[in-house]
Amino acid sequence: MDPILILVCVILGGVLASLGVHLLPVGGAPAAMGTATGVATGTVMLMFGAAMCGLFTASSVATFSDNILLVSLSGSVGSWLMMGVTMLVANVIYVFGTGIVPVSGRVDVDPITKEPQKAYKTPQCDGHGVPNVSYISGMVGALLGGFGGAIMYFGLLNYAHFEETMAGIAAMGIFVANAIIAAYNIGGTIEGFQDPKFKRLPKALVSCGVISLLCGVLVVLVVNLGGLTG
Amino acid sequence: MPIEIAMLFAWMLLIVFLALVACMFEDLESDVGSQSNPNSQVQLAPQVGQVHRFFNKAISGEAPAYALYCTVAGVIAWVLLSKGAHPIIAIPIGAVVGEAVHLIFSVTAHVGRTTAQKRFEQPIYLDVLYGHIMPIATHGFMATLCITAIAYIQSNLGTLSGNPGLDHPFALPMLAFIWGITVGAIGSSTGDIHYGTEREFQDRPFGEGKRVVYHGKITRYADCGVRTQKDIAAFCAKFGGPCTGLTFGVIILFENWRTLVGMQVARYLPNLEAAAGDSAAVIGIVVGLVIGVVMIVGNLVLVRWARKRYGTFVGE
Repeated sequence: MDPILILVCVILGGVLASLGVHLLPVGGAPAAMGTATGVATGTVMLMFGAAMCGLFTASSVATFSDNILLVSLSGSVGSWLMMGVTMLVANVIYVFGTGIVPVSGRVDVDPITKEPQKAYKTPQCDGHGVPNVSYISGMVGALLGGFGGAIMYFGLLNYAHFEETMAGIAAMGIFVANAIIAAYNIGGTIEGFQDPKFKRLPKALVSCGVISLLCGVLVVLVVNLGGLTG
Repeated sequence: MPIEIAMLFAWMLLIVFLALVACMFEDLESDVGSQSNPNSQVQLAPQVGQVHRFFNKAISGEAPAYALYCTVAGVIAWVLLSKGAHPIIAIPIGAVVGEAVHLIFSVTAHVGRTTAQKRFEQPIYLDVLYGHIMPIATHGFMATLCITAIAYIQSNLGTLSGNPGLDHPFALPMLAFIWGITVGAIGSSTGDIHYGTEREFQDRPFGEGKRVVYHGKITRYADCGVRTQKDIAAFCAKFGGPCTGLTFGVIILFENWRTLVGMQVARYLPNLEAAAGDSAAVIGIVVGLVIGVVMIVGNLVLVRWARKRYGTFVGE
């Protein structure tokens, strides 16, 4: 057991989870009515779902590779695919099922494609659908969040020597704690990096760093008490 | 191609099909019970004077709810399997127990929520309560059954395809939990849009976001009289449900396929050559990144097409 490596993995994973959550376009309940931009679900649920996909692949890859970077990247690509398909099909339903053009409610011009947004927006709505800038922001957020979840799993598996399922459960628990902190910071909905709420990020990163440090210390204590060896 | 590898890909395709069915039924179940995000409108309706005959089941977000049902089902199935039961028996029994938990939550959530709205004169219609229990149970059973079956296959994938070294390291209940969370997150993210934006507000203009002033004023009457949640499922089964199923199916397909392709191209299979493990991981990562980039381009094309086809907002 190497306590420093465990702490590094857990803190890095927690901070990346928080950063990932801030980049996801989450519209919550209003998005399900086409009243807000983003994916129509809760922040924690979306990030957790994406991270679970990543964790599944990371745990598979960890059986045949002991390279921390490859296992973590496998997890991050798992999350990236989950978010990519989910946002794309959400847009398919917006466009073909409800006849709505995806637009941002927070910026007048898409910062990436330079497409004007305001003229396409329904009055009394805070945007609708997943515009390109939010899509790309969400993909980057999923990459970072998935990397965070997978690196935590790798640290718990190989440095804390937890049994595979136990390492997965512990990584999930720490990940969710950080995602919830980030969700509190966002306050329900966010469009991505172009949203003014994104400027609140530093506070969340500090909080998540502290929470993850505490979780890491707990993991080290558990390892010293015998560990979760199944 | 050795038969073990062919079997691996065959089992993967079966998992993809089960995922498609699971997520479609999960989404339709959430429409029948009005769970997740659009439930906010069902909840709000009596408060703005719109007494309705909808089922009001907001137990929690769909992701934690399905994680619970699938994990209960997975644990029961796992215990039965460890006692020597055949999977054909163990998996459905697990799913039935998971659905029993689901129904207890459904009934208490509906009755509890509706009772709390007495001050807004919202009655508890017993025929609505009784009439929606079976559709919720059957749709939920299909979703839970498929997820438990996926978890069983994945935790025994190697054994089933003739190479026990390829069994997934997670135990069956853990895999059921993972896919329960994911199926709920996807059902909530995609299928809810068709129900919340279109079906709940069908008497409002098509082709625009639902304005804040419409909130709570849900469509309560259908062609043949008063609308209940059951005909919402029939509507959403034509587009929202299948799209949601497709989402989960495609995710599972990409996730498993890229890993298997990596293993195959790097010659990790069929003898599990440890030296080829890193190459297999790299190929899997590259394939996943390429698929993601294609999806980003796909979204660009879709948004551009919608902007050109529908044009700027022209209403009031």
